[in-house]
Amino acid sequence: MNRRDLLKAAAAAGALNLAWPLAVGLTPAQAREAAEALGADYDPAPFTLGVASGDPQPHSVLLWTRLAPEPLAAEQQLPEIVEVQWTVAEDPRLSRVVARGTTSASATLGHSVHVAVDGLRPGRHYWYAFRALGKTSRTGRTKTAPTGRIGKAVFATANCQAFHDGYYAAHRGIARENLDFVIHLGDYIYEHGQVGGVPESHVRDHDGPEILTLGDYRKRHALYKGDRSLREAHAAHPWFLTWDDHEVVNDYSGTGGGAPFMKRRAAAYQAWYEHMPHRDSFGSMALPDPEIHRVRSWGELLELTVLDLRSYRSAQNLPDGTILGEDQKAWLKQGIDQAPDAWHVWANSIMLSQLRGRPGGSYMFTDQWDGFLAERKEVLGHVHASGLEDLVVLTGDWHSAFVDDIQVDFDQPESPLVGTEFTAHSVTSGAYSADWNAANGPLMGKANPHLKYFEGNRYGYDVYEVTPERFSTHMRVIGDRRDPLSPVSTLTTFHVDRGKTGSYEDPGTKGSPAQYRRD
Amino acid sequence: MNLVVNGDAEAGPGGSADPVASVPGWRIAQGAPALIAYSLGGGYPTPADPGPGQRGSRFFSGGNSPRTALVQDVALPARGTTGPRAVDAGRVRYALSGWLGGYATQEDGARLSVEFRAADSTPLALSVLGPVSSAERLGRTALVECRAEAAVPPGARSARVLLVFTRSGGGTSNDGYADALSLTLHATGGQS
Repeated sequence: MNRRDLLKAAAAAGALNLAWPLAVGLTPAQAREAAEALGADYDPAPFTLGVASGDPQPHSVLLWTRLAPEPLAAEQQLPEIVEVQWTVAEDPRLSRVVARGTTSASATLGHSVHVAVDGLRPGRHYWYAFRALGKTSRTGRTKTAPTGRIGKAVFATANCQAFHDGYYAAHRGIARENLDFVIHLGDYIYEHGQVGGVPESHVRDHDGPEILTLGDYRKRHALYKGDRSLREAHAAHPWFLTWDDHEVVNDYSGTGGGAPFMKRRAAAYQAWYEHMPHRDSFGSMALPDPEIHRVRSWGELLELTVLDLRSYRSAQNLPDGTILGEDQKAWLKQGIDQAPDAWHVWANSIMLSQLRGRPGGSYMFTDQWDGFLAERKEVLGHVHASGLEDLVVLTGDWHSAFVDDIQVDFDQPESPLVGTEFTAHSVTSGAYSADWNAANGPLMGKANPHLKYFEGNRYGYDVYEVTPERFSTHMRVIGDRRDPLSPVSTLTTFHVDRGKTGSYEDPGTKGSPAQYRRD
Repeated sequence: MNLVVNGDAEAGPGGSADPVASVPGWRIAQGAPALIAYSLGGGYPTPADPGPGQRGSRFFSGGNSPRTALVQDVALPARGTTGPRAVDAGRVRYALSGWLGGYATQEDGARLSVEFRAADSTPLALSVLGPVSSAERLGRTALVECRAEAAVPPGARSARVLLVFTRSGGGTSNDGYADALSLTLHATGGQS
């Protein structure tokens, strides 16, 4: 019986009332059993949530795990401090050990483990595992950043993975790609309560009402990691991370909230840190305000700038509003001034390009950069004035694929082009209907002369193949998000040539389905 | 011994509601705080409002910035019953406390946290206090005692204390208040 049939059978038998949604009042063990009965699974305890690595640098990578024998419990029945051993080796069997050590997992941080391993060699794969409480974790694979001139880099982005909207076949695909690294662009979890409608309109559901407390956010992260494909993708590649709004709450601004919201935000940020391979040891602040923005290099080929568009933003639509915050904006502009000759990639959670819904119409969403017009013009004007070339912006949030060529001033047809933005399909989070996409794709194309392409009927992830001469974006799509094993195919490919502004679609895939394509 | 330097806002310039450019013991990471005298009046906490019993003459506030952040890096004892050997043997606990509050029914707030860090600055433990909501202050201007306690993780070599004031809504004054901030270590018999 496949999972969909199982869900239907369970629904017919009335079992879903107990199993999905995960009824409030279940013990953590019962909730886990209910989740597992309908498709979720976990690694063996205590490493139920798997392993991960992140923030790869030439000599260092951050390793992560969390001890969670009962993943759906707010607090673990463990000693207050648990000793955790870690091993890094040059081979999958962990026989050629290059680094090992011991660290502490504290209940105050959800028994999460973050280890910054140093002394590694650039551009190399390494394998790693943890040991605690007499058990050994699965073995993860990671890679350090190369140095010097390199001929190629291949990486992926993922974004928007609403648990209830589908299985993570996209992450299964990412795990199987031959990648240097992965960037998550945000909306890793969703904060809202149960959506219902399982199994006809949703394959699974959240484990309770809207999340507010640290315990709530911990359980939600653990629920999402109950999809084995997500754990596989983490274990297969190092990740860079940014976030969007749903890691806390829809459309929030990081500043200006009252005490109850600030308490909620701190809980959400802490839980995010506890569940992510995030390096937080170099900044000027401290938890529970992790510092996300950073610049990293992949050899001399690629400079990656990770942006945080949530922590420091003001309210939308203010004349002097900010999406970056003053300090991050100054840091970004300084980085632009000092940028080396390389591809410049910005990990940008939410759409940078202007997007009007119809000719003469208003902006679609002002939660994105369209709500921060003066700052966008200032930043893009600075890009142009500084002479920065080869800028590619990678974006999530929209649940649909867009390709935009970026102008300093989108309302001025003659305004200079300064780069290209690729907005990727979501992993699972629901897009507009096919009818909406068919009707509105052409309207958006007409209203936004910089928009090259729109496709909103599919789900997946993007893979980027970067050489000194060309930046290529392959839009990987899955066949059916209701199928955890759904196969992956390439819908289309866009290229940007080095030293030239503007993108173009690969002639070999130009006939692929889309709801708008500027010919 | 309280490891927080100037946790009572008594040292350095201040006394009025005007923001100050420096605070002894602290690095101003964002915004600018005011170190206000309890005797100032004008709606700010007074000696008669709920707050620390031994409150000295001044308290911290967020000044005029929407978000003001103060950071203090604390070196852990180099020796003794709470030194690195005891820490690595799991025989040291910490207590973080502070009086945190705000103005009347407004939701401006103050948050105090401590992060214990490994030698390479990787976070190993975290305790967060506040911010205190107006409901927790029963809708009146007050500072409320907050406290957390936990084990210092083996491997911890420093602590970073973070004090953040946030302003809600409009207005100018950031009316998150804090006073009597304390971080102490104490030795225990063995691994807890």
